[in-house]
Amino acid sequence: MIETMAAADASAVKPPTISADASGTEPLQTQDGKREPILDLKSVRLFHDPPGTLRVTVDRNGRDGWESYSYPVARIYQAAPLSMPGRFIVLQDGKGEEIVMADRLGDLSEESVPVAEEELRRRYLTARITAIPHIKQEFGVTYWDVLTDRGKRDFVVQSMSESCMWLSDNHILITDVDGNRFEIVDREALDPHSQEQLVQVM
Amino acid sequence: MTVQDRTQESQEPSLSEAPPADASLPSGEEKILISEVADLVAEEGHAFGKREVRVTGSRVSVYDEAGALLLTVPMSDIKTARTESLVGGARLELTTTAGILPIAEFTASIAPRFSEMARGIEQLAKGEELAIKLTYEKTRCEKCHRLLPEKDGRCPACVKRMAVLGRILSYMAPYKTRVLVVASMSLLSTATTLLNPHLPREITDHVLNSKTPQTLEVGLPKLLLYVGMMLVALALGALCEAIRGWNVAFLSGNIAKDLRADVYRALEHLQLSFYDKRQTGAIISRVSQDTDRVWGFLVEGVPYLLTASLTLVGTGIYGIVSFPKLSLAILVPVPIVAVCGLLMWKPMSTLFHKVGQQWGRFHTQLNESINGIRVVEAFVQESGEWAKFDKRNRSLAQAGIFVDRRWYIFNGAMLFLTGLGALINWGYGGYLVLKGEMTFGTLLAAQQLLWQVYGPLQWFSQVNQWFSRAMAGAERVFEVIDSKPEAYENPDAVKMPNMRGDVTFDNVRFGYDKSNPVLKGINLDVKAGEMIGLVGRSGAGKSTTVNLLCRFYEADAGSLKVDGVDVKDIDLQDLRRHIGIVLQEPFLFNGTVADNIRYGKPDATMEEVISAARSACAHDFIVQKPDGYDTQVGEKGGKLSGGEKQRVSIARAILHNPRILIMDEATSSVDVETEKKIQQAIGNLTAGRTTFAIAHRLSTLRTADRLVVLEKGKIAEVGTHAELMEKKGIFYSLVETQKQTSKAVAEAASDIAYTEEEQGE
Repeated sequence: MIETMAAADASAVKPPTISADASGTEPLQTQDGKREPILDLKSVRLFHDPPGTLRVTVDRNGRDGWESYSYPVARIYQAAPLSMPGRFIVLQDGKGEEIVMADRLGDLSEESVPVAEEELRRRYLTARITAIPHIKQEFGVTYWDVLTDRGKRDFVVQSMSESCMWLSDNHILITDVDGNRFEIVDREALDPHSQEQLVQVM
Repeated sequence: MTVQDRTQESQEPSLSEAPPADASLPSGEEKILISEVADLVAEEGHAFGKREVRVTGSRVSVYDEAGALLLTVPMSDIKTARTESLVGGARLELTTTAGILPIAEFTASIAPRFSEMARGIEQLAKGEELAIKLTYEKTRCEKCHRLLPEKDGRCPACVKRMAVLGRILSYMAPYKTRVLVVASMSLLSTATTLLNPHLPREITDHVLNSKTPQTLEVGLPKLLLYVGMMLVALALGALCEAIRGWNVAFLSGNIAKDLRADVYRALEHLQLSFYDKRQTGAIISRVSQDTDRVWGFLVEGVPYLLTASLTLVGTGIYGIVSFPKLSLAILVPVPIVAVCGLLMWKPMSTLFHKVGQQWGRFHTQLNESINGIRVVEAFVQESGEWAKFDKRNRSLAQAGIFVDRRWYIFNGAMLFLTGLGALINWGYGGYLVLKGEMTFGTLLAAQQLLWQVYGPLQWFSQVNQWFSRAMAGAERVFEVIDSKPEAYENPDAVKMPNMRGDVTFDNVRFGYDKSNPVLKGINLDVKAGEMIGLVGRSGAGKSTTVNLLCRFYEADAGSLKVDGVDVKDIDLQDLRRHIGIVLQEPFLFNGTVADNIRYGKPDATMEEVISAARSACAHDFIVQKPDGYDTQVGEKGGKLSGGEKQRVSIARAILHNPRILIMDEATSSVDVETEKKIQQAIGNLTAGRTTFAIAHRLSTLRTADRLVVLEKGKIAEVGTHAELMEKKGIFYSLVETQKQTSKAVAEAASDIAYTEEEQGE
């Protein structure tokens, strides 16, 4: 990690990559274009202020030693929400530039994890289907009547082959006519009735 | 629709879509101007629920499902309003004096409506007049309350199937005589099939009867008579079939042609937004596959149904009249066969469908790897591609084996069940013959009849499927035919045979997706003959601006005028006749070079074509080709180089002689040397025309009269190249960045050249 430590020197510019080290030192682009490392991911603090707006503060090495930097507007993203949900969590500032990337949620401080989870749930509005009381396919249109982790919902899918993405043999992502997303994480884990309904249209 | 109109209308739809604006209004409160129901609740873990947002002249308020006030923000505190887009939905946020305030969360279904609301709130907060477009779109069918696949679209379940059928049948109308011939031939050939059981019965009972043996002298004439009758029936049947087939061929060819022509004609005139939403393959399949389904049903399905049901009814009646007891006995397994057919057909058809999908995926995979073979080989991914191919190939084989095995089992079961009828016939019929209640000839006749009943019965189970598919195909075909075309035939449109070329943008707003505006109030005055360079980062709205000018899309708000007339009111053909476009990737049609140059003016003489090619600096390279102007350009112009294609497309634009010229990144895909030629060609082309040029290489815009810098959907800077460079604003920094990049690229290029030289040595 000697190399990364050397990045503290302003002349040594290192592209932002994930550090293999668990402490996760991350280079940070400051306004004057210099990258300064965040020494410890645990020092990244996520909180809501005012309620509903995500803020992030980080510690980085500044001119006068360690400084706390605060981002009044921050957004959280998953780099691969479908194939690796909960991994490669990216925080961006209001300008859409990266503040830091965490390899996994658990790398963040204990208080920040629930905030990050709440923000992810708010941003990724994909509803997880828990049961399928009824599906009907008529004239090429599929009518779904489902229970999800966000509540009951009915929706229409125009063309099943175009609107269903198979993420694995049992993991399905369905996009309805309006662009709302529904996910069946494991179709074999659904109750027999739901599976029966699903088989009719899949 | 104005907001006032909408609020009145909003009392009709159900609560879930439009809350009664005035009904819940306590007396003395001010009028609700906008009101929407959000469908996510943040406090409940972002679950589905209801939150109503009401906007009045003085405040924005949020109510819960029970109607209790949760939050209210005075309009005077609001600075801006916006929607933050999320994955599968969005959130309405207000920027107030106290900071950003989240108001409501909602799914993608209603996000566009809230985006309009945000615009409305901003207008009210600024004290402007409320001017937003909120049209109520139906999301559910009024009749059956099903969700609609497309907002304001037709409910597929409530489409009157008979009406659709009627419309399909109307395609037969121009060919009445032929249809009549087909129908009568079908009837006649059915009638001859009824003779099939009857004549052998007569021969067996009256000529070959072993109980009453006949001499040769007596029997032979009788036998010859019956055989003669059989010959007549056979010949008649064959003749009917031939005449029927002759006419069916004519009908299928012509009806298919008519259907395809109607769909294609409709597609040509559709608004471009129709194409944005759909894949090219899906659209092409409407012209080919869906029309096939419709005419297939019409020309083959309907006559089949007709003859099959006639045969069924005819033979049934014949049997019951001639040998009632035996007929009833034979018919015992019929319901079983019918029910089994229905039950087993459904899963069978699903399986067939699956195999079809497997084939589709196999084709996609194959197509991709063959088309990308250079990339595959360059990245040494042959084994990876092979693995993918092998996987698809295997699963295709497996699916095929699976479905074929099921099919043979299904078929075997049907054979067995149908065979039961024959068994009953021999058993019970034989018993009746032995008892002397029935003749042997009747038994033979019954046997013959049996196959005529059971044959069509096996396939009747498919008829519903067949019908449904044809109906679905018909709906897709008619959807295209009925889609709102571009306003080619607006009788009130202003004719504009001549155009000066003045263009005015007045506060133009537009977004492809209404919840995500691309242009946010463009104001620009362009004099006729002026050349405008549109500059900005990708996504700033440059191409969108020119798309609106061509009226490929219509502005959501504000107006766009040419010669002082709103483009919406100008005759579309006239407008486009005066606009010429040169694109980054010029699209040439398969044909000769001359055909392509003539595209916009098919009656142009060869002299005109050559003169246009000269102006486009294309003439020299064209005549050097072995076939000169008669050179076939190949599919999409594939036989010409990028620079050649571009110059041919410029010649095409010059010959089209437009008053307004649009160049969208016209020089970005060619090398510097060719670019010089093209620049010269463009100089010839733009002279005296209003020109909008979009260019990535900013240096190519030096000749522009004015440069317009777009930033995030708004005009950030306007001025000449020199003025903007002096200003040191956005344009200046763009130019500087480009200089540095090209310098770096040049250095890298020389490095590579150097290394190559070394290696060469």
